[in-house]
Amino acid sequence: MVLVLALGDLHIPHRAPDLPAKFKSMLVPGKIQHIICTGNLCIKEVHDYLKTLCPDLHITRGEYDEETRYPETKTLTIGQFKLGLCHGHQVIPWGDLDSLAMLQRQLDVDILVTGHTHQFTAYKHEGGVVINPGSATGAYSSITYDVNPSFVLMDIDGLRVVVYVYELIDGEVKVDKIDFKKTTTTTAH
Amino acid sequence: MMVKKRVPDWLNSSLWSSAPPPDDERLLRYASKYADADRDEPPAPVAPVAAAAPPPVVAREEPAGAARAGNDEENGSAEGPSGEEFARQVQLLAELSKKVVNVRELRRIASPGIPDSTGVRPTVWKLLLGYLPPDRGLWPSELVKKRSQYKNLKSEVLIHPSEITRRLDKSTSCDNDESKFQRRGILKRSEITHGEHPLSLGKSSIWNQFFQDAEIIEQIDRDVKRTHPDMDFFSGDSAYAKSNQDALRNILMLFAKLNPGIRYVQGMNEILAPLFFVFRNDPDGENAAAAEADTFFCFVELLSGLRDNFCQQLDNSVVGIRSTIARLSQLLKEHDEELWRHLEVTTKVNPQFYAFRWITLLLTQEFSFTDILRIWDTLLSDPEGPQETLLRICCAMLILVRRRLLAGDFTANLKLLQHYPSINISHLLYVANKLRSKPSG
Repeated sequence: MVLVLALGDLHIPHRAPDLPAKFKSMLVPGKIQHIICTGNLCIKEVHDYLKTLCPDLHITRGEYDEETRYPETKTLTIGQFKLGLCHGHQVIPWGDLDSLAMLQRQLDVDILVTGHTHQFTAYKHEGGVVINPGSATGAYSSITYDVNPSFVLMDIDGLRVVVYVYELIDGEVKVDKIDFKKTTTTTAH
Repeated sequence: MMVKKRVPDWLNSSLWSSAPPPDDERLLRYASKYADADRDEPPAPVAPVAAAAPPPVVAREEPAGAARAGNDEENGSAEGPSGEEFARQVQLLAELSKKVVNVRELRRIASPGIPDSTGVRPTVWKLLLGYLPPDRGLWPSELVKKRSQYKNLKSEVLIHPSEITRRLDKSTSCDNDESKFQRRGILKRSEITHGEHPLSLGKSSIWNQFFQDAEIIEQIDRDVKRTHPDMDFFSGDSAYAKSNQDALRNILMLFAKLNPGIRYVQGMNEILAPLFFVFRNDPDGENAAAAEADTFFCFVELLSGLRDNFCQQLDNSVVGIRSTIARLSQLLKEHDEELWRHLEVTTKVNPQFYAFRWITLLLTQEFSFTDILRIWDTLLSDPEGPQETLLRICCAMLILVRRRLLAGDFTANLKLLQHYPSINISHLLYVANKLRSKPSG
């Protein structure tokens, strides 16, 4: 049972001052084993805050990140799943699922986590699953102002993943989940 | 190195009732027997010495249908049993082979000690702790019942929240196994059951409780890894040690979860260790395999009498550890006022400095493992109960080193009592027995 937090596109301080209070109260250290962040934090303070939640932090670079040394893409293996991470502004058309599927096949991962559109999506295709955790602060995107703060928590348990979607709608935290499993095991590296 | 103690004259006085004064030769044999058995392994299959072979074989064949005695030849110790011990062995096996075991009688026989070679220690302990009923006919059904009970408890209590939510999902009618095989498309979002999600801060949330228990689990894990690091049974990288550690962990975690009032306190692992060791080394393969379940129930039983020692709030109460230590002090004063005065008044060695560990951990830290098993034979079988017997043994421990204590100052005495020297256990128990306030039956 491994808990992985996926979030991104916070745009602190340019477009939002901080995470919503209700999110912050839930995100306490000691519960989460890994954090994967799609990018656009944008400043070091956010990086430090995320580090306090969990020491295992993975970030890819968004176009507004002040830290230039984050990688463009990242892959990691957690349990039986290979996860891929990319901010997503590099994949055009933005948010296009077929193009993202191409990236997923390139990275050869089961779950691809990308952002940039500030809209939560979870999509399945033959190559695997694409998850967009949305914007954790509800910052406006290049496309729309209408953004609900959201992030994703994945519970990886063997071959099964339960994706918990946390959204702040009208000031209340709503939690949904998505269940899926993969049919083959990953070969050990 | 065994210290060969000469029995003080006052103990040899004819005023004392039961057993005959121990003769030096028997003491010598005990001393060397325990020196040999002091390897911390279960009685290793030693080639049976010619002297040992005939008497035990006769003993085993005698009681018809003796439960577990048959396959013990290789467990013979390096020395043959002495006359008195052999007689005890015979009585023990005889009692255990009866249709209905007389537990009072069993206590009487087991009290001076259970000979290692018989391999009946696990069974006797289970009877003494009330795990096995006296009627032997009920044993198979009882064991099956208890063991499956343990299995159910484990699967209900020791699962982590992912597993729980999975089960909850299965029970609610949302059965989307078929829809999961969609090839392409937006993944369907579903409602969370009972508002349960990993970051939940609700008091009744299983996730929240899980994270709160995580601290205790960490503590248990640390203590289990530190239990008897010198013994291959408990420590090391072998799969055997790891599986034993897992069992200890499971038992302690289950106990902590089922007893929220007392949870886990450091030291419980030390009390658990001898129990598990004995049951796991049962010559009967089936019993050995089910050791974890059996140990759990016996541990609960044993701890029920000792809980008050572990409860911090009760420390200063009438049942708490402080008052128990005071009783030890009183006992010493009754039997050996000179020593008492010298220890507590002259050298100001507060009994809390040494007796706390002796009492709460049932002497598991003071002696070698084999000696502990021997002492526990007496602790568990004495009709006065473990706590009372323990106090007498502690008092005997003090009396046996009285000469050194009387000659020592605060530092020397404290050092001596906190690192108690190894002594002849039979003698210790013999002295402890003499300290009874009323004559034993």
